[in-house]
Amino acid sequence: MEKFIVLLPLIPLVAAIVTHLGSSKLGKQVVSISVRGGILNFLIAVVLLVLMLSGNLSGQVSLGPDWGILLADPLSILMALVIAGISAIVRLYSVRYMIEEPGYARFFVLLDLMTASLFIMVCAGDLISLLVAWHLIGVLLYFLLGYDTRSFSAFRYAFWTLFTYRIGDLAMLLAAGFLYHAYGTWSLPVIFAGLSENASEHVYFGFALPDIVGSLLAIAALARSAQFLLHTWLPYSMGGPTPVSALMHAGIVNAGGFLINRFAPVFVNTTDVLHWLFAIGLVTAVVGSILMLTQNDIKKALGYSTMGQMGFMIMECGVGAFSLAIYHLIAHGMFKGTLFLRAGSIINEARKEDGVPKEDLYTFVIERRPERKRQPWLLMAAITLIIPLVILVLAHWAVSQDYFQKQGALVLLFFGWVTGAQLIFATFRMGAQNIWRLISLIVFSFAIVVLGYSMVSHAFDLFLYPDPGFRSQIYAAADIDVFWFDVLVGLVAVITVIGWLARYYSEKHQSIMAKKIGKLWISVYAMISREFYLNDLYAWLARTILNTANKLNIWLRWR
Amino acid sequence: MNELSLVLIGIFIPLFPLSMIFNSVFAKVKNVGIRLLLLLAWPLTGIALLDHLGINIPDWIVTWSLFTALLYAIRLLTIREISLWTSFIASSAWALLWISLQGADDFSRAYFYAISFSLPLALLILLSDQLTQRFGAAYVGLYGGLAQTQPRLSGVLVMVILAVVATPIFPAFFALMHTIIAAIPGSLGTAISVGIVWLLWSWGGARVINGLIVGPAKHVDYPDITLLQVWNYWGVLLGLFALSIFFVGASL
Repeated sequence: MEKFIVLLPLIPLVAAIVTHLGSSKLGKQVVSISVRGGILNFLIAVVLLVLMLSGNLSGQVSLGPDWGILLADPLSILMALVIAGISAIVRLYSVRYMIEEPGYARFFVLLDLMTASLFIMVCAGDLISLLVAWHLIGVLLYFLLGYDTRSFSAFRYAFWTLFTYRIGDLAMLLAAGFLYHAYGTWSLPVIFAGLSENASEHVYFGFALPDIVGSLLAIAALARSAQFLLHTWLPYSMGGPTPVSALMHAGIVNAGGFLINRFAPVFVNTTDVLHWLFAIGLVTAVVGSILMLTQNDIKKALGYSTMGQMGFMIMECGVGAFSLAIYHLIAHGMFKGTLFLRAGSIINEARKEDGVPKEDLYTFVIERRPERKRQPWLLMAAITLIIPLVILVLAHWAVSQDYFQKQGALVLLFFGWVTGAQLIFATFRMGAQNIWRLISLIVFSFAIVVLGYSMVSHAFDLFLYPDPGFRSQIYAAADIDVFWFDVLVGLVAVITVIGWLARYYSEKHQSIMAKKIGKLWISVYAMISREFYLNDLYAWLARTILNTANKLNIWLRWR
Repeated sequence: MNELSLVLIGIFIPLFPLSMIFNSVFAKVKNVGIRLLLLLAWPLTGIALLDHLGINIPDWIVTWSLFTALLYAIRLLTIREISLWTSFIASSAWALLWISLQGADDFSRAYFYAISFSLPLALLILLSDQLTQRFGAAYVGLYGGLAQTQPRLSGVLVMVILAVVATPIFPAFFALMHTIIAAIPGSLGTAISVGIVWLLWSWGGARVINGLIVGPAKHVDYPDITLLQVWNYWGVLLGLFALSIFFVGASL
């Protein structure tokens, strides 16, 4: 049965070749090969998932003794289904969307090659296949983003993407080199078996192998998932066609989360790598969200929104919630893909009709009529802080009683609590005529989301990591000293509450606040609007290198 | 004696400033056939000499070769003339051969690596000749927009440049990968430096692609390359892919 997994990359590969060769004879009709291939891929991925769930699929297929391996494991099959689904939709969408563009068939050839590379990446059971697929995705994305060969700017930003990806590729190449050197094989299952037997067996330059490899893989994941300092390409890569943006934001940038999950046996043996991942993810989530809120270009705002989401996904890995990161990347892929693919038609429809539903609920929420009598603030504060906490605790307790023993889980609960409290806090400021109706609606929605999220993520945990011992190991690898953990949680809670109070105070005393922090705020805003001057810094670095190269060539007389 | 021999070999397996000899010769020679011969035979001569003399490669040679590879990788970023770009990237890539050659018992692997680096460069020189025939010069940024006017030539050019800058599926990538793996136990710095060289090649390659194929269509009197020529190039590229499979199959 596992041999069917070969079909996943093979179908788009054959479709790409046939589309390329047949484009001169069949004209624009040729793309139907690609579309049908996409649908067939999706059906095969569904069948493989069903077989996996029923326990009838496991093992691997390989070309050589320890290379060219495709794995049939829960992670590869789940990711293959996601890729098959998104790429099939993108191809279907592109049939009409791209029809007026020159190089119509070339676009589908590139899409097919990208899909094949993505399948190989998620199913790779050896370092060579993984490296090749990982690198090819960067190269193919470069050509997809620069699809319009007339546009210099599209290629310039495509190059930014390629170069950032190359930095991650380099880290991954080094990681593969260390693993091969230590275990003398390319096969991932063999390497992981070696790691589980004795992880501290190999030491390089005074560091244990898992720490070195984990750090390098983390860099690869950070570059691919647009984490802070390696993120500048993401918001500028919107010059490519909309289906490419959808594919990129729904699938390709999520690869960082996949990589961390694939190398979970390495990360469970690291000492501090997951903590660093958490910190970088947190910074990225905050910076991405701040930059998103300050953009006046909707596409750049969407780009920074993805950056924030990716930060959160990496954060989840950093607290040991690996399977939750997979669930997050799938959920994010779905909604971001929908946003991109629907954007054009929504703008088009909005030009004809505003599309505002004339329903009771909508008018109740949007057409605000403030309540005459204000509720006691103590009651409202209690509702704000206690209700989300109760919902979160009950939902998580329902799926797993030992959940609260894990630090990572508590961190996520804490974030969930802050988000819920923030949501209810924002609700009060909406000033509805019937505040209790609004709160009950919000609380009900929150409860549904939290319960659904908890149950699905728990199911993912059981599916991806069926061994309870290994699940505990992942969370344990992310743990820190209990004292420092309590201090950090307390500190973040205090900062959050101070933030809320400051916000409340600034709204109440706007004129005083404007005088006090006006100038400072303008400076901060200027820095944010210039995206922390990172692009300028990188551009200056690039110019310096090019000027140096020029000078060297002149001094050495071009020889 | 050994040092003198190494210096002699440093002409063929580039060590700066001896590498300037190859670049000067390559710039002087205008005949495409001789250029192809130079690209294919130059590093092989160096390896054969080393093989014949059986000299151990000291560490300082590896450091020197890394410096050479980095120097040419940086310098090629602003080179616009394709044949000069080819000779610079050849100097950079061949310099890395010293790392694989250090401590090697069997030199057959090094011959493979040299061929892996040289074959795509030979294709690039052929394409450079095609460009010169059409536009009077093979020069990045001079005309641009080739994707619009010469789609076949552009397609082949892009694939060849990808092969030159050691993109996976082409054997130069696997040669580079082995060089990094060979360097890892001894020096992480060497492995990272090789990686940086590779990063700079990618940058240089992207600059060539952007400068040649991107841009609005311009009037061109010359026809695109024929389908037969395209298939010939693809044949060699597929051969390179087969060489990659052979590399991997033979466990590098």
